Amino acid sequence: MFSVDILASNQLYVGDMAFILVSFAILVVLVRIFAWGPVTKMMQERADKIAADIDSAEDARKEAEELAVKRQEQLKASRQEATTIVSDAKNQGNEQRQAIIDKAQTDASSLKVSAQAEIEQARRDALASVQNEVADLSVQIATKIIQKELKLDDQKALIDSYIEGLGTHNEA
Amino acid sequence: MGEKAPTFNFLGLTFNITNLISITVVMLITFFLILWLSRRPQIRPSGRQNVLEWIIDFTNKIVESSLPNRTGQNMRVLAFVLFIFIFIANQFGLIFQVKLGDFTYLKSPTADPILTMTLAMIMIVMAHYLGVATLGFKKYFKNNYLSPYVFLFPVNLIEEFTSFLTLGLRLFGNIMAGEMLLNLIASFAFSHGVITFIPGIILEVIWQGFSVFIGSVQAYVFVTLAMVYISEKTIVEEL
Repeated sequence: MFSVDILASNQLYVGDMAFILVSFAILVVLVRIFAWGPVTKMMQERADKIAADIDSAEDARKEAEELAVKRQEQLKASRQEATTIVSDAKNQGNEQRQAIIDKAQTDASSLKVSAQAEIEQARRDALASVQNEVADLSVQIATKIIQKELKLDDQKALIDSYIEGLGTHNEA
Repeated sequence: MGEKAPTFNFLGLTFNITNLISITVVMLITFFLILWLSRRPQIRPSGRQNVLEWIIDFTNKIVESSLPNRTGQNMRVLAFVLFIFIFIANQFGLIFQVKLGDFTYLKSPTADPILTMTLAMIMIVMAHYLGVATLGFKKYFKNNYLSPYVFLFPVNLIEEFTSFLTLGLRLFGNIMAGEMLLNLIASFAFSHGVITFIPGIILEVIWQGFSVFIGSVQAYVFVTLAMVYISEKTIVEEL
């Protein structure tokens, strides 16, 4: 019934159609300028910002990881270095100790040798001076005893042999 | 419907005053609502900006589901305005109906076929125009009228008219029927005093709630189908 009425109404509102066309076009343009543009631009900005933030966060995370790995390596390296330093020092100390001990030993032995040599020398000197004095004394005694001038050089061999005999007697 | 409409002639064109007033009012509401929602947009959205962005996302998804290409990019703003406009127009008649004497001056503009058919015409003409613009006339013609088989040409030709008619009449029929039943329930409510008034009120509230639902669904359906038609005309189907 109603549809018949609609079809039967011989007035087609062409003016309305034109009005709708124009006003709808104006509405779309106005919305686009005043609302759609700013809001979608803001939405796009937000999407870009979020994407950028995610990217930078990812970068920062990677950087931090790299830094941590680097730190770990550095720590390991310095620990190794410390161990080598300590062991080096230990070795050096040992070497030094050994060297000091060796030097002391050689010093001591050389000192001993020179001391022995000195002692020997002194003994010899003492013996020589005693020999001379004994020879002089004996000659003077003999001169006084036998009142006779004896030639020192003639008797010297005799005295020397005597003193030699004395030395061996003492050592024995 | 069926009632006499207040009309006047201007430049040889017939104008329906009811439609002019209703359409203008709904368009003003649409524009200022969107304008109010979109003031001072911020990177960190809050309040009404969230509402607007939710609607924009909603209509963008409708467009993308059938037009995931450059054509769809340009259709977004149209789909958005179309959706809000039809939605408000559908709900408008549920809230305001102004009658003076024999004439209704304010009602849902979508309850009149002239608006729905004009909107349908805009979308269909645009679909054909975009089809020619993106595919070239030869390919457009072959894709539209001669496929899948050449002998289906008459059927395809008729289909162009039926899709135009159904797009407009579906919206019109739903909203008009809703308003008509609303008026019938109202006249029933006032027919026999208190006895019919109370059940009338209850029925009216229930039917209004249902009409809100219908109006929302029809706005969605209209925008979706318009985008589907555009995609049919602009995208070559691979067989």
